[in-house]
Formats: sequence, structure tokens, C-alpha cells
Amino acid sequence: MQILIGIDDTDNLDSPGTGALASQIATDLDSNGWGKSSFITRHQLLVHPDIPYTSHNSSMCFRADIKDECLEQVIGHAAGFLARESAEGSDPGLCVVVVDQLTEPSELMTYGRLAKESVLTKESAYELARLSNIHLSEHGGTGQGVIGALAGAGLRLGGNDGRLKGQLYIGEPGSIVSVVSLVARDDIDEVQSLDGGAVENRDMVRLGEKMKTVLLGGKAVLLVVATCGAPDEARWQTCSRQQLKRY
Amino acid sequence: MPVHYEAEMGKNDWAGAAVIAAICETFHPDEEDEQVADELLSCFNCRYRRWTVASFSCCKGKPLDH
Repeated sequence: MQILIGIDDTDNLDSPGTGALASQIATDLDSNGWGKSSFITRHQLLVHPDIPYTSHNSSMCFRADIKDECLEQVIGHAAGFLARESAEGSDPGLCVVVVDQLTEPSELMTYGRLAKESVLTKESAYELARLSNIHLSEHGGTGQGVIGALAGAGLRLGGNDGRLKGQLYIGEPGSIVSVVSLVARDDIDEVQSLDGGAVENRDMVRLGEKMKTVLLGGKAVLLVVATCGAPDEARWQTCSRQQLKRY
Repeated sequence: MPVHYEAEMGKNDWAGAAVIAAICETFHPDEEDEQVADELLSCFNCRYRRWTVASFSCCKGKPLDH
């Protein structure tokens, strides 16, 4: 079965971030033979004075394909891990969505979008989880992280939000590679231009210093911008961090 | 209890954030996934910046006072 695991509010200023904990849960899921996890996405939620957060109010989520009989083990492991490893003063929340058993997928996606633009309550999160057959649990502090955990799962399900965790290591900055070679990699599904211009398979791309993919259309997309080079040079270059900030 | 200094540089003063971080003794890089500035040394990439609606606050106090 396909599941989404979302976690939020696990850190403090001096602890490993929520992304690191998500990575460890994904690694454990794989190494225990429960299934295979996919990439982790980071989802930016609303920054507002009424929302408690450590420093960014971002949520982490990943998809995994697991054996049906391993669901309870996965949930139990993730819950125990968050209870043990979340930082002092944090308010960790865990969301596990069994995609095929989700009764209200559109409601979950809407909840994710709402969390980017409004202040939500724990009660609303638990209510939606109950109605949609979603596991939602808190593991310390106020448990406020259930809101972000649920929202992150909704945004991941929607497929059009967030940056993928980790950098891409493709080649030296300044080197030029083909779009065909980029999409042949396991960690890039598509190459798209930031402004919507068409990117052809035969086009060439100049690599930047820090390269990341974003989640668009449910895929890991490498965004590029047009260069101003001569026709024989690369037509595109990879986006900088600053250009990817809004994702 | 950290002293929060509300910066006035907004969220897109990339040059200003780099200048401050370059002379800040408490700068500590945030995890890669939370870094948004191209220059590593930038308040925008610091573990101790806390994003606010308009800009960010420094959880170690006003950076230039260190």
C-alpha cells in the first residue's frame, strides 16, 4: 500500500531539524524491510504571530510503498521515534495517510493549502483526520505539530508544493549537460523552466552551485531559467536558491 | 531566553543579510533544506533567524551587537 508520512514541530534551535528526523524514519522503514520510501518534501506553512514554530514553520513529508501487514509497525515506529528523538520544548505531530483508504482526498489537499494562508487549530486537524480515516497523533509538548503534519501530507498529496530535501550532485558548477541526461537520473523526473517556457530534450543546461528539485505535478522537477548566452552555449541554467525560495 | 531582534531588512535584502552575517559571531548555518540565500554567510541561512511576517528575528539578539 502507498502511504504518506508527515511530521512537524520536532525541533528546537539547537537540535537536528525536522528534515533530519524524517530522513531517519524513512531510512528505518527501508532497513526494517517494511517497504520503500520515496523522496522527502519540505512544505512552507503560514508564518503568523499566532502560530508557534521554531524558526520557519515548515513541515516534512514522504511517500512510501509498504507491505500491507507492516502499517501498524510503521506507525508505531514513527510514533516512538518522534517521542524519543524530538527536541525539548517541541510539539511533535505525526500523520500517516493510507492513500487508497483516504475517504476525503480533496479535503486533505484543501487543508494543506489552507495551512499556508490561515491559522488552523488542532481540533480542525483531528476532525479532518477522523473523517478521512487518517492516523494523526501527537508525541510531546502541546502536540501542535499535528496541524503541520496533516497539512504537509495534504500538500504532498496535491503534488504541487515544496522543495525536495537534499541537494543534487550532478557535476561541477559551470559545466554543461543535456536535458536528456538530466531526466535519465533517478532524482529528476522533468526539467521545466521557471517562467513556463518550453524546455526541449535536446537543450543544454549550465549547472549552478546549489541544485534542488521542487514538487510539481507530483514529480521531482528541476527548474531552469534562460541564459543570455550565444546560440552554441547552454540555453538554460539551473535556478539559484533564491529563485527557489518561493517553492 | 533568547533576545529577539526584529530585523528591518524584509525578506529579500540579500546583500544586507550577507553583510550582517559576515561579521556576526553567532552565525550558524541552518540545515541545507532551510537555506534560501545563495551566499552561505547570510542571516537568511542562519539557524538562529526566525522568519516573521515581514522579515525575521534574530534569536541571538541584534546581530551587530555581538
